[in-house]
Amino acid sequence: MIAARHLTRRFGPRTAVDDVTFEVGRSEIVALLGPNGAGKTTTLRMLAGLIAPTSGSVAIGGVQLTRANGAALRMQIGFLTEAPGLWDRLTVRENLRVYAGLYGLADADARIDRVLDLFAIADRANARTVELSKGTRQKAALARTLLHDPTILLLDEPTSGLDPEVTRSVRMLLDERRAAGCSILVSTHNLDEAERLADRVAVLDERLVAIDDPAALRARLTTGRTIVRVAGDPSAYLPAIRSIVGPGVDVAVERSSLALQVPHPERQTPAIVAALVAAGAQILEVRAEMPALEDVYVHLMGADGGGA
Amino acid sequence: MGHIRPLLAKEFLDLARNKTALVPVAIVTVLTLALPFGIAIAIPAMTGHALGEDSDLVRISHMASAADTLSDDGRIQLFLFQQFLMMFLITPVTGAMALASHAIVGEKQARTLEPLLATPLGTFELLTAKVLGALVPTLTISGIGLAIYLGGIGLFAAPGVGAGMASLRTFLLIALVAPASALVSLQAAILISSRVNDARTAQQFGALIIIPLAGLMVAQFSGSVWLSSLALALIGLGLLAVWLALTFVSVALFDRETILTRWR
Repeated sequence: MIAARHLTRRFGPRTAVDDVTFEVGRSEIVALLGPNGAGKTTTLRMLAGLIAPTSGSVAIGGVQLTRANGAALRMQIGFLTEAPGLWDRLTVRENLRVYAGLYGLADADARIDRVLDLFAIADRANARTVELSKGTRQKAALARTLLHDPTILLLDEPTSGLDPEVTRSVRMLLDERRAAGCSILVSTHNLDEAERLADRVAVLDERLVAIDDPAALRARLTTGRTIVRVAGDPSAYLPAIRSIVGPGVDVAVERSSLALQVPHPERQTPAIVAALVAAGAQILEVRAEMPALEDVYVHLMGADGGGA
Repeated sequence: MGHIRPLLAKEFLDLARNKTALVPVAIVTVLTLALPFGIAIAIPAMTGHALGEDSDLVRISHMASAADTLSDDGRIQLFLFQQFLMMFLITPVTGAMALASHAIVGEKQARTLEPLLATPLGTFELLTAKVLGALVPTLTISGIGLAIYLGGIGLFAAPGVGAGMASLRTFLLIALVAPASALVSLQAAILISSRVNDARTAQQFGALIIIPLAGLMVAQFSGSVWLSSLALALIGLGLLAVWLALTFVSVALFDRETILTRWR
């Protein structure tokens, strides 16, 4: 587990991260979401012990990260930097071997083979990294990040610029690491990725704007509308609906659906459905309208005074 | 300390794949070999004027050796070869400077420094690996040059000159002063490399380190200074002390936060 407690980092007069508190538990993926300059990389660097917070603290497995124990605690962390950071003139295997040495791994070759297999890049093991595609370089960097079996993964934009196939394989791998008990913090711009991947989403804009699971975040911006999709022309069922909900409820026709702004959807929806069925409607779908995570993000950023 | 070896292995591997980085030290080594043999042996042979015809050279050469067994020509050759031995102080410095000044700033520019700093690698280990990574290859080339130099003296110089070179002074220059001066200059270059944000600036600052060595050489050639074995031993030990001090200063001044957050 990794915990940030009131983390603040200033660079001269500029505050990059302001009083951020959250934690990533065992077998959990938290997505750190925010615009450029929101402090995502600075937060990751503080959590990795690369830069010190101006105030606040980081705890890894309950142990507070300090200058004295930084090297030992970094053994538990796998940090994927924004750029792959591979030595161009060395092969993938040679790059990994240097890191195996730096982590003091006794069974270096076996571990290297394992991570190469994990990312399906064993056939590129002896290629110099300068010759690799962007996706393969990113896979090699991820392989380096996992080489020492860290219990905490800090990943800065792990799928940035990758094609959908590679992105999917990275996502699957992170799912596996989560299942293996890792605490994973992923910074991303990609709202879709955050929603698909993360157990919780932390929205950062210098300070922590919100942190919750994606569904709960979306529920914050719920529209309160119930959408009923029917076969045929939905406007034919407007009189039946109005007879049930009364004049104070906004009912609109949107393509093949009826959208109803009802004050108590849980109580009123069964009666609405019954009325529609009685009117001869073939109901295809009934759901509460939920905003996209993007809408929530834009709303949160707007509320925070930041740009989206 | 255990982290130095893998990083050092990486430095050697990287250099082995980028041999052009060693071209400057190879050129300086060739020049260091060509100049003394040209001046002490080839030019007199081609012009027909023996070195002993120059009274100034005869006078100065007496500083180098009081051996009566040598002819004037032999004594002057011994003097010249001993002077040019000083060039081997500059050889590793010149060659390694480019490597050392690029050491930290190069990693930063290649964006390989941050993942490296995210490992348990300590600052002392990082800087030591960088110094040794530049020192060992250049000292090796310089050592090969030196072996050719001494072998050439044995083959081409006047009788007795080779034996005259086999002195405590030569040993101190080769085994103590040369590596110590290289260590000082490399450590200074690494220090500079971790404080500036581009390799050219680091190299320009680093080049200033050659100035005192060049001054020492000029003073020796003019005959105004003659460094005895004791003086060389003291200089060598002094340089080692400076290197140790520079190592501590380098570690203290290595500001990973500034390097990560301010350099672009």
